[in-house]
Amino acid sequence: MRLVACDTAALGLGMTPGMALADARARVPDLAVFDHDPQADRQLLEWLADGCERYTPSCALDPPQGLILDISGCAHIFGGTEAALARDLKMRLRRHGFTARIALGATPDSARAKARFGVRTLNALPVQALDCDAKVHGALQRAGLKTVGDLAARPRAAFAARFGKDYGRTLARLLEEEDPRITPRRAAPVIQVALNFAEPVARTQDVLAAITHLAQQSAIQLQERGEGGRRFEICLFRSDGHVARLAVDTGTPTRDAALLDRLFGERIDTLSDPLDPGFGYDMIHMTIPRSEHLVHVQAGLESRVDVKAEKAALIDRLSVRLGPERIRHFHVGNSHIPERATFERPAQAGPPSGCWTTAQVQEPQMRPFRLFDPPQPVEVTALLPDGPPRQFRWRRHVHLVHSVEGPERIAAEWWRRPAGHEPGKGGLTRDYYRVEDSEGRRFWLFRHGLYGEGGDPRWYLHGLFA
Amino acid sequence: MNIKAILSAPASNRMWQQYQSEKPQRLLPVGAPLVDQRLQGGIAQDGLHEFFGADQSDGTAAAAFAMLMALRLPETEAHILWVSGDKERQASGRLYAAGLAQMGADPARLLLVQAADMRDALRAAADGIRSKAAGAVILEAQGHARLIDLTSTRRLVLAAREAGVLALLVRGDAVPMPSAATTRWQVRSAPSLPLPGNVPGFATFDINLLRHRGGIAPFTARVTWDHGDRIFHDAPLSGGLSAGSAGGKTDPELRRQSA
Repeated sequence: MRLVACDTAALGLGMTPGMALADARARVPDLAVFDHDPQADRQLLEWLADGCERYTPSCALDPPQGLILDISGCAHIFGGTEAALARDLKMRLRRHGFTARIALGATPDSARAKARFGVRTLNALPVQALDCDAKVHGALQRAGLKTVGDLAARPRAAFAARFGKDYGRTLARLLEEEDPRITPRRAAPVIQVALNFAEPVARTQDVLAAITHLAQQSAIQLQERGEGGRRFEICLFRSDGHVARLAVDTGTPTRDAALLDRLFGERIDTLSDPLDPGFGYDMIHMTIPRSEHLVHVQAGLESRVDVKAEKAALIDRLSVRLGPERIRHFHVGNSHIPERATFERPAQAGPPSGCWTTAQVQEPQMRPFRLFDPPQPVEVTALLPDGPPRQFRWRRHVHLVHSVEGPERIAAEWWRRPAGHEPGKGGLTRDYYRVEDSEGRRFWLFRHGLYGEGGDPRWYLHGLFA
Repeated sequence: MNIKAILSAPASNRMWQQYQSEKPQRLLPVGAPLVDQRLQGGIAQDGLHEFFGADQSDGTAAAAFAMLMALRLPETEAHILWVSGDKERQASGRLYAAGLAQMGADPARLLLVQAADMRDALRAAADGIRSKAAGAVILEAQGHARLIDLTSTRRLVLAAREAGVLALLVRGDAVPMPSAATTRWQVRSAPSLPLPGNVPGFATFDINLLRHRGGIAPFTARVTWDHGDRIFHDAPLSGGLSAGSAGGKTDPELRRQSA
């Protein structure tokens, strides 16, 4: 077993990462050792990255122990200079007991190398800062090239011929000649607005007031773009580094601050674990990751109720409170199998679609009011094996059949089965019967399988008529 | 009905008295002449109406009757909101859109709300009534529901009255408890008039008015739904609709129905 990481005290005692545990114990017998937990390290890094989103929306992990923040255009919020931002970050990290080395660079590679090797200028970086094979480092050092400055002064082509074409690219990135951009943890939002507080806020009303303000700010930006947001996210940065996130989705694009206010109020009310403001939030972000085209509609002079808008608002409101999958519309399914002939989809996903089959005026309904899915097994007595049912037992109650219509034969969808085109493998045919019992209740029964299709056909109750 | 309990309740007392004193303005006719005559025109279009299943297995009939009453409303763009809980969906199956379409409904108008429990369901129903998005709100509560009491139903009544929305409460497999509903009905599936070939006919219900806040005396009637015109008829059907069945077989059938 080997040491993976050491704290400052251990480093002072001569321990280094990579040292065998037996050697370390031999030197310091009462060494405190813990199992390496990469998962927990990763989680901690994620947590730190969450907190760093107060500075910039694009933040990338550099495992095992690095974070790369793209702070282009973000410095003005923190006193104007990038150095001030770095100082603020360092101070916050120190408060949590982290030792951080922060370096600024024009490309992610240069910033990372500067932070890792603790060097201020690029030219002073050792060749190990190059992100390539250890063999390359060895070869360069043997050639007497110790620093990146040495490499920068020499023509690249010869080196590329010797060390491969990756060498040139790596060096260019390190020397800030090529900017590869980072891959942020979250996609950059279309719009982001932020609110800083000199004094942390803790009351829910204050948070809601801040959200209203942010919604108005974002509405201005959305209006300039001619767009409306479909998803709104709020990040609440607690002064102790914790970050809480809230999000609401809307069914139609919107930039109505009052509506957002209501939705977020609803969201906060229905959180399964309530917001814990702790010592208060010192920063609140609103980001709009999804937006769509929204034209401005002029309100009519007459005060007519806009049913469409009201419908969208109701769907959004209920979806936020109960969960989007609980508010649904009916859609027509592309199948003749009864349970697949219609399906339900969250109402926020889109308006209902499809063309429904209505009954002939002279005919009663052929499809039930309610459907059991899965169908409920029943015991049926019939005069002939493949005849209509005479009586059946459902939920411990015997129903005598008074009148019956059927069978309506519905074949299985053999084309959905792997070997469905072969005889006997296409699935069982169903014979449906519309049945009224002696008390006047109407049922939809079916026999699953014909005699001769294999096995003993079973009966099921599939639905109830009005 | 304990009217004292209502009047002594502190919340929105004045509104309640106001409600008591006013006559319902808009009436929704059931369609069947005999029933509408007894109801003096129909049921209040801005009231709360309760439908109880007569029997354990009449929950479907009560639900279907409530849905059909919602379909009696003139067709608009507004939703018909169907609110139920997880328990209801599990016990009585799901609404089947293909069947609804054949009953004369436009499934695209329906908005399904499946709440986790009765508290959420009541709140969703109240929201639906207050928003101008729904023309009718149907709340389904299976079995004993502690939360559906005088207070909660009165809240629904007041909301429905203010918004002018038809609110319908479906109680399958439940015992009538005190409530503030405008009318209370007991619904039972009734034998339909068979079509030629002894085929089950159109949806038929035995409805029983249990109480009416306007003081109309309880009565019983049998109605059949006509999905073509979306109207109830007095059963047995008169006119051309079931003319085909007026053969020799009808006599025993009529006897069975009147029994």
